[in-house]
Amino acid sequence: MRYLKLFFLFWQTALMARMEYRANFLAALGVVFLESAGMLFGLYLFYQNGYDLGGWRWQEALLVMAAARFLDGVFVSWINPNLRRISERVQQGTLDFVLMKPADSQFLVSVEQFTVWGLPSFLVAGMLFLYAARSVALNPWYFALALLLAGVLFYALAFALATTTIWFVKLYNVVNFLGAVLWNAQYPVSAFDRPFRLLMTYGLPVYFMTTVPAEVALGRKGPGFLLALFSLSLGVFLFSRAFWRFALKSYSSASS
Amino acid sequence: MLRKAAAFLSVYYAHMTVYRGEILFWLLSGLAPFFFMAIWVEAARHGLTDREPLAFARYFLFIFVARQLQVVWVTWTLSEEIKNGLFAFKLLQPLDPFWHYLAQHLAERGVRLPMILVLLAVFLWLYPGALVFSGWGPLFLGLLASLLGFLLNFFVAYALGLLALWLEEATDLYEAWYVFFMLFSGYLAPLDLYPAPVREALFWTPFPHLAYLPASLFAGAQVERAGLAFLALILWTLLFYLVSHWLWKRGLKRFSAMGA
Repeated sequence: MRYLKLFFLFWQTALMARMEYRANFLAALGVVFLESAGMLFGLYLFYQNGYDLGGWRWQEALLVMAAARFLDGVFVSWINPNLRRISERVQQGTLDFVLMKPADSQFLVSVEQFTVWGLPSFLVAGMLFLYAARSVALNPWYFALALLLAGVLFYALAFALATTTIWFVKLYNVVNFLGAVLWNAQYPVSAFDRPFRLLMTYGLPVYFMTTVPAEVALGRKGPGFLLALFSLSLGVFLFSRAFWRFALKSYSSASS
Repeated sequence: MLRKAAAFLSVYYAHMTVYRGEILFWLLSGLAPFFFMAIWVEAARHGLTDREPLAFARYFLFIFVARQLQVVWVTWTLSEEIKNGLFAFKLLQPLDPFWHYLAQHLAERGVRLPMILVLLAVFLWLYPGALVFSGWGPLFLGLLASLLGFLLNFFVAYALGLLALWLEEATDLYEAWYVFFMLFSGYLAPLDLYPAPVREALFWTPFPHLAYLPASLFAGAQVERAGLAFLALILWTLLFYLVSHWLWKRGLKRFSAMGA
């Protein structure tokens, strides 16, 4: 309960700080809609010639895109600003202030910031989902649950990667890299050439983040896959916690 | 003059090697063309177009190279330095800060290039035969187009970054430019697969000439109206040079450093 209260407090102040830059905010809004339109157009280029991308129908493929958009929203509004902040804190030595506080440090650095810039992504995700749901049979609960787990998985991976900032100090681009990874996962994994399919399943597990939620929702994969996704997310999450603690041992504050 | 330039470049080269981790991750963030290649190669195998899969591998390989030669981040730097006041120190020097930023970018290419080569080696191992050498002429023209593309990107980013003098935060404006680039330059799909009217409408915008033009030249493909394409590229570069110049003059009058 205390953590929930903290979360809302952070959320509120972050929101107020962001609204100061209104022109930038409007540009960010426009960008998301434009980007989504572009991705749809890119998808359309395949379907206009009657090619079913990796054996997925148009509406089914849109479901994968909806999952990617949703995660992008989570990334932009929440993961991205916080991880950037960790890097800044390490550079300026202000991570000390966080470590001194009487609450879990990973929690604090993970929820402190929040932006509304992810909102348009959520909106687009919702629209894509509704459009897809109208014409194919799917289980919305499975989809929501899988997305939640995918979100945890994505967060844990992102956080583990960002933790390396303790050693390398300046790693803003790690965060950019994560956004790019997600961006490449907007299409079903089976549409990719074999080496990339392997990479996306075992290397960067984006397969589990966007394609699996759609597959489970559509019944292409049984509910057992949800359990697999759950174990994977939990495993990576626990790893990210252990890794953060391990990294903090190497952290020497700015003055010491 | 030459000595100054050389000193600048070597200082910034040393500066940039500090950020090699950053640059590596940035390079990895720019792998999108390869992912799109993977989709098109798979589609070509299923007979979506009459092109062989390797043609797509080649196209996207050169799109990637052209893009890597053109990445800029000056909007971000300007925005940041204007916000935190560091910009004021640059103004004190008897040299237009423009040259600082330009040298930074040019020197960074020196750090990035070896990484690109390693990446290309991996790629060629996966897709042997994708890399072709189509003669010195096309190679030279491709590099020329990439250089012009770099300058155009740089001036656009510089102009947008200067807007931070009015708006405080301008980084998302460059994002908007980048999204247009992605959609209309042939970055996501070979431009010749776009519907003809769309292609025609795009011809006088800067975008196709930033990626499609150099990539086609590198690959030794037939480029229609190459002369006019170069003309469009040069005109846009000039235009944004003038815009950034004008914004610079107007913006300086507005700038008041922190504490001043």
